[in-house]
Amino acid sequence: MLNQKLLIGSHAPFWHDQSGISTKNYHIMLAAIPAVLFGIYQYGISALGVMALSISCAMLWELLMNYLMKRPITILDGNAAVIGLLFGMLIPASSPWWMVLVGTFVAVVIGKIIFGGIGCNPFHPTLVAVAILMLSWQSLFDFDEALANYELGFTMIYPLGAVKAFGTSVLEYYPLTGLLMGQQSGGIGTTFGLGLIIGGIYLILRGFIRWEISISFLAGIFATALLFNAADPERYAGPMFHILTGYTLLAAFFLLTEDSSSPVNVIPMLLYGFMAGILTILIRNIGFFVDGVVFAVLMLNIANPLLDKVRPKALGKGIEYA
Amino acid sequence: MKRQTEKTLAYVIAAALFAIGVVCYAAFPETKPDEPVRIVFKSTAGKVLFDHKQHTGEDGYGIHCIDCHHAWDEDPDVKPVSCTECHEVDSEDPIKRSEALHQQCIGCHEDDGTAPTDCSQCHIL
Repeated sequence: MLNQKLLIGSHAPFWHDQSGISTKNYHIMLAAIPAVLFGIYQYGISALGVMALSISCAMLWELLMNYLMKRPITILDGNAAVIGLLFGMLIPASSPWWMVLVGTFVAVVIGKIIFGGIGCNPFHPTLVAVAILMLSWQSLFDFDEALANYELGFTMIYPLGAVKAFGTSVLEYYPLTGLLMGQQSGGIGTTFGLGLIIGGIYLILRGFIRWEISISFLAGIFATALLFNAADPERYAGPMFHILTGYTLLAAFFLLTEDSSSPVNVIPMLLYGFMAGILTILIRNIGFFVDGVVFAVLMLNIANPLLDKVRPKALGKGIEYA
Repeated sequence: MKRQTEKTLAYVIAAALFAIGVVCYAAFPETKPDEPVRIVFKSTAGKVLFDHKQHTGEDGYGIHCIDCHHAWDEDPDVKPVSCTECHEVDSEDPIKRSEALHQQCIGCHEDDGTAPTDCSQCHIL
């Protein structure tokens, strides 16, 4: 009786909202539906193919690894499906099938399973895959090139690339309401700003993600872009443009808020989001890459354990020699 | 939901989505339109995104095919060949790709007077 284990502790995440992991993941998928459906509506059957293959391949890679490693079947928790869903949302509709296959393999196996499965991954698995593919096959993530054969009735030049190359003189082609309503080129599920915001608010209100991370990230983007814009309004776009373009909104509500790669304390969460926002704009405005979200989030994922050191003092603990 | 039911449901969803994905890729492969919409020319000085539709469309600049595809005999049954079929990256005769495109683009842009002629206005690094 005395040797019975009464409480087993493990790593973060801890967030008690009376629901299981699968419930959370199903709700994340539900919140992503408006943006995904809009992407499929815009790009047609090729986008449907990418999304379906991405979700299924992520689940099948995890299932295969479960069998190979003789571990319990974990695809029921919906985490692999979420990884696949997010990967599909981030890539262009014209992505070849092998890119989806390789990307989901990297995301699930290298991004998650290798570290010990759900809750143990130090980086967002989807972003690990996107970063590796982006560095290996840069042209596949060049939306201008990937979507060269699509004509959707609005300016199809990737907005962040256009501003980086030509400055704010091109902003007349990208009205903010148009950007909000998805009139921009990009990944399948990243262009419909309104859908992503609705999904994000739903997740925040239901307690599945922490508002501190999302809001501080958007605040970081806003403040840094505002400073750049004030310094040189002809070269650097304003904050709202940066919030509504690229991977910003998807990162704010779906990528940064991933459990095991984000902090658990309030101040670290605020720092984590805000610093990711600053880094995103720094990469966009003075860095090499057109969209800095992927590398900014991965960098902050690395900083996550360090940030979580900012925590309240333990009650009753002596700190005389600390 | 019972675990066994959840398991079955996950398998069914994975298999169904995989089938949908395979069918979409196999039955509806990405096809290039007869007339390109936009063309990306890659070069060491940075890519150039050429809006073909904007240049040739009636509501665009209305440039006629023969103005650029000079080897075309205006036979409607024969498609004009692309620039790079003859003007290769490193060739002397006919002139190499970069020279051909520079002459064609900058020459026309200078005649127009309002179109861009500086390197950085077309080449994106």
